[in-house]
Amino acid sequence: MPDLATLGTIALMASGTYLTRILGYLALRNRTLSPRMRHVLDSVPGCVLISVIAPAFVSDRPADLFGLAITMLAATRLSILPTVVIGIVATGLLRHVFGG
Amino acid sequence: MEATHPTTVSDCDPAQRATTRELCRGLWASVPVLLGFIPFALVLGAQATQKGMSAVAVPVMTGLNFGGGSEFTAIRLWSSPPHLLLIASMSLLVNSRHLLMGAALEPYLRHVPQGRALASLFFMCDESWAMALADAKRRASINLSMAYFMGVSIGLYLTWVVFTAMGAMLGPLIGDLERYGFDMAFTAVFLVLLRGMWRGRVACRPWFVSLVVAALTYCLMPTGAWYVAAGALAGLCSAALMAPKEGK
Repeated sequence: MPDLATLGTIALMASGTYLTRILGYLALRNRTLSPRMRHVLDSVPGCVLISVIAPAFVSDRPADLFGLAITMLAATRLSILPTVVIGIVATGLLRHVFGG
Repeated sequence: MEATHPTTVSDCDPAQRATTRELCRGLWASVPVLLGFIPFALVLGAQATQKGMSAVAVPVMTGLNFGGGSEFTAIRLWSSPPHLLLIASMSLLVNSRHLLMGAALEPYLRHVPQGRALASLFFMCDESWAMALADAKRRASINLSMAYFMGVSIGLYLTWVVFTAMGAMLGPLIGDLERYGFDMAFTAVFLVLLRGMWRGRVACRPWFVSLVVAALTYCLMPTGAWYVAAGALAGLCSAALMAPKEGK
């Protein structure tokens, strides 16, 4: 059984995480949005997603950058599953070859 | 209750059938993404037990919290006894992007009763959020398909909790999965989702601002998750500045 300090930390961490999930929703509930605000919110998905993966673009390993380029090319024309497979295989092979 | 009746609900109720179909569609769509979850989940569980967390505590954490970035951060900072406030505040910081994500999702949830929306938001992670939004955009609808969202979420949630627990139990047997390129799975998923949201170079200028600022922040401050906050906020500021004039 986990001890009290562990459970307390997990509980506090989990409640904070849940708050971040609902606060943005609650803040906008029953509000009318200005066109500018709507335009900004439309950009949220892309800006968040690209920020999360930004470290991949500045990797110091050549194998990773080549792998990223191949994955990007795949992403422009294939669906999720083949892109994931190509990304993993290409990056794994390149790291093996370059010794990354 | 239904089991006592001779006919099952799915046989006669078209609304119920549509919900089930959407649920399965979501579950199916989650498969390629959950494959990417597995190596991360195993690594997280293995790292957690190396840091002295018990094998039972790991699924408790991942099941109650369900936010990979914050969990990796918590494990990195884990000690015995844990620094309660440090870990809680770092989780808040890492997950602060959820504030923006929830706000962006709100217009798509207006058809959902508040209680149900709050309950399902527990499952909002980068992937389930992006996939459900991308799906609504593809259908050119302002209503999120809640059953699709829940289908995606169930697939991802179960995978995450089960495989972090397995990682905790298998711990020392797991080598360095990153060597095999599994970390590229997330980048690949996000790139495909981004392609689905692409609306041309002009409309997506804020993305490039985000990318550049996030990458620079990451180079300067590789620890923590500052780069996500900095990149997202910079992109949104540029979106506000480039917004079409009011009334248009």
